[in-house]
Amino acid sequence: MPRGEFLGSLEQIVMLAVMRLGADAYGMTVRREIEARTGREISIGAVYATLERLEAKGYVSSFTGEPTAERGGRAKRHFEIEAAGHQALNASQNALRSMSEGLSRRLKRA
Amino acid sequence: MSLSTLALSQWIVARLMPPAQAEALIGDLLEERRLLLQAGSRVSVAGWYWRQLASSVPVLLWASMRRGAWLVTVVTAVASFFAAMGIQLVLNSALRPMTTSSFARDVLMFLSFAAALAACGYVAASIRLGAARLLAFLVFAATVAMLAISTRAPLWYEGSLLVVGPLATIAGATLSGRRRRVWL
Repeated sequence: MPRGEFLGSLEQIVMLAVMRLGADAYGMTVRREIEARTGREISIGAVYATLERLEAKGYVSSFTGEPTAERGGRAKRHFEIEAAGHQALNASQNALRSMSEGLSRRLKRA
Repeated sequence: MSLSTLALSQWIVARLMPPAQAEALIGDLLEERRLLLQAGSRVSVAGWYWRQLASSVPVLLWASMRRGAWLVTVVTAVASFFAAMGIQLVLNSALRPMTTSSFARDVLMFLSFAAALAACGYVAASIRLGAARLLAFLVFAATVAMLAISTRAPLWYEGSLLVVGPLATIAGATLSGRRRRVWL
């Protein structure tokens, strides 16, 4: 990760969803995982746009699966996190943890 | 889901994403729609489907602009437009001295207009298919604006310009070898 660059909140959320889903991470499951865990409605377009950005940065990679009947004969696009993605996510999470250290009471009050 | 609804959503997504990604996204929508149909009504699921698509469009549009696809399309279309105007100007000044009849001049101008647009439509489509479509739209809009300002030309001439301009552009684009897709 370039010095001083942190992942945006949606980028972190999408990467964490991909990490949680493992081999089953593709557009629909990532979108549903985010909705289920955050309660935040997200469009499939936003998921794809974020994944495309992360892929361009080298943080995730994708491969095409087999076409299935329930998808009208369309193939899935699976995503997985690359080593650089793990580092970037760690750095962003550490920065957030470090910034919020000692603020738990104030954060609860808000 | 009706075929036309599916085709429309596919058409929209295909304009904004590379083909493989568009296929995957539509597949995801269809798969989730199928899951939702097991618990919800057709109407509410149709609402969900179109909400998903509508909220995806601005994000995908922005992503496609970042990719540079739109910029290249717009620049190609605008450059082709000015090139067509330039070619037409040169052809007009070369053909004008050939006749003294105003009708023959109108016809020659008309032909040079169509030829210039067909040539530029061909070039635009060779660079980017969307650029030829945008060029056809620009030609239509510019002709409407031009006719609104100046009404000296005969009605048949004005009407024909409106139709022939965009058609010549698309015809040129069709010749570029992207015959089937240029109309979609």
